[in-house]
Amino acid sequence: MAFFKILSCFKCLVAAASVAVVTGVGFLFSGFYPMGADDHHNDLTYWALETLRERSIARASSDIQVPTDLASAERLLAGGADYNDMCVGCHLKPGVTQSDFTLGLYPQPPDLTQTENHQEDVSVRARKHFWIIKHGIKASGMPAWGAGHDDERIWNMVAFLQRLPELSSPQYQILSVRDVGDSGHH
Amino acid sequence: MKPQIRSYLVALPALMLALSAHAHSPDKHMKEAQASAPDCSMMEDMDHSKMNMDDPLTQAMMKKCMKAMRQNEGDSHDDKTAATKLSRHQH
Repeated sequence: MAFFKILSCFKCLVAAASVAVVTGVGFLFSGFYPMGADDHHNDLTYWALETLRERSIARASSDIQVPTDLASAERLLAGGADYNDMCVGCHLKPGVTQSDFTLGLYPQPPDLTQTENHQEDVSVRARKHFWIIKHGIKASGMPAWGAGHDDERIWNMVAFLQRLPELSSPQYQILSVRDVGDSGHH
Repeated sequence: MKPQIRSYLVALPALMLALSAHAHSPDKHMKEAQASAPDCSMMEDMDHSKMNMDDPLTQAMMKKCMKAMRQNEGDSHDDKTAATKLSRHQH
């Protein structure tokens, strides 16, 4: 008797799962989902995607070794020019509060001239920055720069990011100008 | 090949070249050159005794400005040398 009860319950579960799958696939093909970047997610979807992203990056970056000379002047100088060439359009620079990319991209790219989470350990943040620059983030507009840049170059950008929130516009200008003869990679 | 077609083949690339030269005006080049040099006037105005020389940020800015200054001195020296050579040549 108990066996038949379990069996009928199992059948109910299979039927419910089948309905859910068919409904989901139907919605997928219906074209009803609003895909425009100017049509924002509801709070629940945003929270779910943000949590998924943050947890994934935290896990994936946890084993990365931070170089001991990350705060050096050489790394700051090398990272500044690359930041100016590759990141400033989306992540801004001192004295600039918005760009076409910050207005139009969704999710909006973080303003890296502002101080981030104070409670987070500096090395944890450095590891996350390194991982994000190297691997990018799916469906966000953040490319994987690791495809064309070695780890040293990415660490230089991480070094620059650590000091970016405290830079004034003139300081940024000095540090981000590429030296004559250094064509970068572009 | 007909002479008329040949003249078109020569004239068209020449016209394209002339248009591209116009698009890259000297003003634009000047602006690009200025933008690619660090503006170290802020460093010159600062009281260096109050700067924290142990801070990598200060060290980086000093390095960048010293390098730019040396570059400028080198360029002006080259200009002077060239001008001297030119005046000697004219005499």
